[in-house]
Amino acid sequence: MNILLVEDDMELAHSVGEHFRGQGYVVQHCADGETGFSSACQADYQVIVLDRMLPGLDGLEFVRRLRQRGVRTPVIYLTTMGGIDDRVQGLEAGGDDYLVKPFAFAELLARVRVLSRRPGSAPEPAIRLVVGSIELDLLERTVARAGKNIELLPQEFRLLEYFVRNPDRVLTRRMLLENVWGIHFDPQTSVVESHISRLRAKLNHGFEFDVIQTVRGTGYKFLAPN
Amino acid sequence: MRPTRVFKTESFRSAALFATLFLVLSWVLLGAVYWIVDDTQTAALVGAIDADIHTIENGYRGEGLPEAIEVVNQRLGSGTYAGADLPGGYILIQDAASGRRVGNVQLNTLQLGLFSLSVPRNRGAAAAVLGRGGYIAQGIYLFVGRDTAPIAATRARILGAFAWIEGAAIVLAGMGGIFFSLRFMRRIDAIARTCQSIISGKFNDRIPLRGSGDELDRLAVAINNMLDRISTLLDNLRQVSSDVAHDLRTPLTHLRNRLEESRQKAVTTDDYAALVTQAIEDTDHLLAIFAALLRISQIESGSRLAAFGALSLTELLERIYEMYRPVAEDEHQLLLHDIQKDVRIQGDGELLTQMFSNLIENAIRHSPSGTRILIRLAQSGDTATAAVEDDGPGIPAAEHDKVFRRFYRLTRSRSTPGNGLGLALVAAIANLHAAKIELADNHPGACFRLTFGHSRVA
Repeated sequence: MNILLVEDDMELAHSVGEHFRGQGYVVQHCADGETGFSSACQADYQVIVLDRMLPGLDGLEFVRRLRQRGVRTPVIYLTTMGGIDDRVQGLEAGGDDYLVKPFAFAELLARVRVLSRRPGSAPEPAIRLVVGSIELDLLERTVARAGKNIELLPQEFRLLEYFVRNPDRVLTRRMLLENVWGIHFDPQTSVVESHISRLRAKLNHGFEFDVIQTVRGTGYKFLAPN
Repeated sequence: MRPTRVFKTESFRSAALFATLFLVLSWVLLGAVYWIVDDTQTAALVGAIDADIHTIENGYRGEGLPEAIEVVNQRLGSGTYAGADLPGGYILIQDAASGRRVGNVQLNTLQLGLFSLSVPRNRGAAAAVLGRGGYIAQGIYLFVGRDTAPIAATRARILGAFAWIEGAAIVLAGMGGIFFSLRFMRRIDAIARTCQSIISGKFNDRIPLRGSGDELDRLAVAINNMLDRISTLLDNLRQVSSDVAHDLRTPLTHLRNRLEESRQKAVTTDDYAALVTQAIEDTDHLLAIFAALLRISQIESGSRLAAFGALSLTELLERIYEMYRPVAEDEHQLLLHDIQKDVRIQGDGELLTQMFSNLIENAIRHSPSGTRILIRLAQSGDTATAAVEDDGPGIPAAEHDKVFRRFYRLTRSRSTPGNGLGLALVAAIANLHAAKIELADNHPGACFRLTFGHSRVA
């Protein structure tokens, strides 16, 4: 897996690069926007990890030009600009995810893994999602495991849908908050944990295999049941 | 104060403009008076001349030339035509046939009709005379004229009087202009001096008022109010800066102690791992404080107003209810709702979600199990009221005003995790939405009530 890392902070670039290499990624690092941009246009990367404030070519402009050229490689911003408007601007420019510095590497890794699997275009509007023995009907909002219907509340359904769309990937607490609840702040209570435990109880009721694995200190992973 | 500055002031310019207008008007008035007086006097003079001509002509018609000459001589003998040296009348009758000529004036050409001429006098300047000449019969020429000196004198008197008035007006306007400019400038200078002294650091200086309630006083009051407001904001800022410095010191101290402890006491890698994990937690706590402070100041800057749109407060609160219901359940608390349908307001959904989340999380975290928490929403007329109520321990009335301050924490909750910024953020978001936020006693428990005014209710 190839990652393009465009980051002018050498220390951070080195540490992030080493982490990714340790996970088996091939990392190409560029320290400024212009070289990063030409590299992004020439080689085929699964994900671009992009600092938003860069010498030469600013991160927003970087993504805008990239999308104009038709390069659809997923982009995740790494930035110190944590304002709401900053995030909205970043995503509107064509970025796919936004991570505010400082961050835990596990958080970045989880996001890159989800992005790198994402097809270049928007996911096709599926009506049914089937992973292993779990089936989701997105129109009827119904769930069945091994043919047995499971009653879920709307927020539990959305949580499961996000899991099912990203199986075998670690999903962090923050990713769940952002993608399931649209929340970009850090709740001071166990919102995610409470919902996960209810979803887990409903899904696993009468089954041996736990489909939602807890990854300690990081998040959760959905494992497709047989 | 340099004198040229006086002439550059707005009040002097206005005075000069009005003085000029006054002068132009008075010249028009002068012209009119001058013309009317002159015309009346000239008409009177011509009337007198025509009356004399008429008398002499009548004499001629009655008894012929000798009688006419007799009348002329009578006229010459009378006061009116007596002395050629006095401003008076001039008369001449001349018969071409007999060559007789009687009168006190010589005419080189026998002009007809009304005309002016200059008659030399023995002493002084020649007299300006207006008269009428004509033939009263074949060959008999008659001229009667009057000295115009009285008319000229009247003209001179009028012009003289006007000259005085104009002169006085110019002097008064100039002096008035300078007086008002100086007075105006003194007060402007007072404002400028105050501003200058504020710039140089005396933030408590204010512009002196005259107490007359005039426009400059009103301006001064407005500026003084603005200065008071800025001063309050500056004090707040100073307070916040020192709070930030103070409140960051505590977690930094914890972090430092932990690191020092690991250097001294940790032996095994497990010891180190445990201490590093705690150190990361301390760092995250610090980062959370920074993030919250940044967010509060971003909200207070008002830049999010641009992202306001119509949204359903009903749906937003229902979503939040669904989100926190299991959390409260896990804490053995009961989250309830009484949310009116279709309440829409203008606002920022993301911020409002955070605001209500903060209030609900506060209730969950600071209340014991068994507490009931109620989310309310009701619209009445053009105001929408949302509330988060609980029957927990509540907040002492004495602390009601303080809870919205940054870093303020109730004495009894100092030991629970938190940074004291949650309600400050709530207050900032409420302010941005022009919503009134109140904290009331719920007997027992606390009730946070938000009232969205008509401008925000969509």
